[in-house]
Amino acid sequence: MSTPAEGSAPLRDEVRRAVVALGTGAERAAEGGRATTSDLTIDETLLLHSAGWEPVDLVFGVSWWSIPWGVWQWTTGEVQEPCVAFGGAVDQAAALLRRECEKAGGSGVIGVEIGLTVSSHHVAIALSGTAVRRTQPGGPSGKFEFISDLSARDFVLLTRAGWWPLGLAAGASFVVAPRRTVAQWASQQGQNTELPNLTEALYLARERAMERMQHSGESMRAEGIVAVKLREGRASSSVRVMQFVAFGTGVHLADGTHRSISPEMVVPLDEKVRLFEATSLRKPGR
Amino acid sequence: MSTAPNAGSPDTGAGAPDLPEAAVHRLSGGAWSSGLSVADFASCLDMGMEPLGYVQGYAVMQWSWYMSTGGFAGGFGGGFGGPALGTGAGQGRGQYVEQWQCPHGFVSAEHRTYGVNYELTWLERSWSTGWGLAVGRMVEEAASLGATGVVGVFDDMRPLVGGTVEFRASGTAVAVPGTPTPPAPFSTYLSGQRLAKLVEAGFAPVSVAATLSAVRMLGYCITHYQLAGTSVGTWYGTTASGAAGVGPVDQVNRAQAAARRLARERIRAQLGHDILHGATLEDTEREIGEGDLAIQCTLKGNRVRRFKDYDPLPDPTPVVRLLT
Repeated sequence: MSTPAEGSAPLRDEVRRAVVALGTGAERAAEGGRATTSDLTIDETLLLHSAGWEPVDLVFGVSWWSIPWGVWQWTTGEVQEPCVAFGGAVDQAAALLRRECEKAGGSGVIGVEIGLTVSSHHVAIALSGTAVRRTQPGGPSGKFEFISDLSARDFVLLTRAGWWPLGLAAGASFVVAPRRTVAQWASQQGQNTELPNLTEALYLARERAMERMQHSGESMRAEGIVAVKLREGRASSSVRVMQFVAFGTGVHLADGTHRSISPEMVVPLDEKVRLFEATSLRKPGR
Repeated sequence: MSTAPNAGSPDTGAGAPDLPEAAVHRLSGGAWSSGLSVADFASCLDMGMEPLGYVQGYAVMQWSWYMSTGGFAGGFGGGFGGPALGTGAGQGRGQYVEQWQCPHGFVSAEHRTYGVNYELTWLERSWSTGWGLAVGRMVEEAASLGATGVVGVFDDMRPLVGGTVEFRASGTAVAVPGTPTPPAPFSTYLSGQRLAKLVEAGFAPVSVAATLSAVRMLGYCITHYQLAGTSVGTWYGTTASGAAGVGPVDQVNRAQAAARRLARERIRAQLGHDILHGATLEDTEREIGEGDLAIQCTLKGNRVRRFKDYDPLPDPTPVVRLLT
């Protein structure tokens, strides 16, 4: 292939330098002699570094809690057992994540991905993220500080605004909707009408789950919960079981006041081209 | 073509390319090919990388969760009662084995008095061999083209025909004119702007890295009851949670933790003092029978090496995009 037109000369120099370094086997020992692992992108790594943090290790926390047989049957209203199992599993998984983070020498975990499975007989929570530590002394040295499902970008933005993540706040509720009476069933036949038993079950589940998430935040002394994600709808175990699950990151004001980050407004010039059907031009009358 | 089993890191075979004759003929001349998108292609040119060819590697492996030789659980320290059995992780031959004993005594012939978690080492070795062969063959093709590296690597494993799986690896071989030919071409999942940023940040791509860990769990009575939902009452009792039958499934939790820990340790063993960047973890569980699980974790990422220090970025400017 012919030589391409000259592009970014400094970048090319860096690429050559990198290739030469590979050839000479000039390996820089990782700090402490231990290889670091992370699931962060290069953008996130650079951004974290600019904020005084660096990745240390991938960390995991998985917890399954059992739900006894029969709790979903012959009942209406909230089912306590899966709610208790959910809370226990989240706490245990978070504790395992924290233990792995501390063992790796990290003081926080960011970008935590949350896997949740609710079946008839168990609740499974799987947490995974990257443990990070400060590049410069400045915070509580060696002390564990937070677990957060915020991305590195959101974490940097949050901390610049004077807020600080504390931990995962979560709440869930599982409600069995009552059956309709025969009269209700008969009067609703053939109509597109609201089914109040299901709506009310969903509302009850929502109230309980949001309340538990709030309590979870309060227990870690959070002033608020950001980036809340909801999972709601029918639970897989039964057509009449409504589930509502809420997750977020508990935050508090580090210095007592919010700092404005004064964002600049930009108009991006990479807007997607709006497409249209060319055949529409041939419609009759045009 | 190299056929030697590989322990996880790709066998580059750069020293003695042994490609099929047709491949040698195809690669010896004619138009170059590339698997890069137009944007990534432009970015590679900007970095001074010239595409040489779209290189691939394949390996088809016979595949089963159970070995036909070596007893019921080949690789399990010689089977039940073998020397590798122990109560702690990492005993025996260095593989993960952990066992549980029923606290109830004799109940019935069907009562599960014994439970065990163990690492499926033969499955891990098979995966390592298949993946290593496919990636090694891809890199071998690149080496025969005189490539400096392979960028934009894609790899996967998929069922092919009954009882077999296919490991695939492909990427674009590139040359960096003006540099000495490295002992083995580098390889990376990255391409385009992400690769450019990586280099600018002071990291050189070394190789793709991947591993699979697999743990089988044969539940003992308590685990069996918990997963079947029949742990109410005297078998499990009221737990610290305050709700009867609600509690942690310890054996599963230990197996899940072990699978992830093994994946992380294995991939770290491939890194030396280098760094694993942009890792992805995929985990799956298969319920083999009631109370029995097979857990599998695949961890992949880019092995990168720091070749220079980099200055921290200036404070990023927050922006609000005026776009719906």
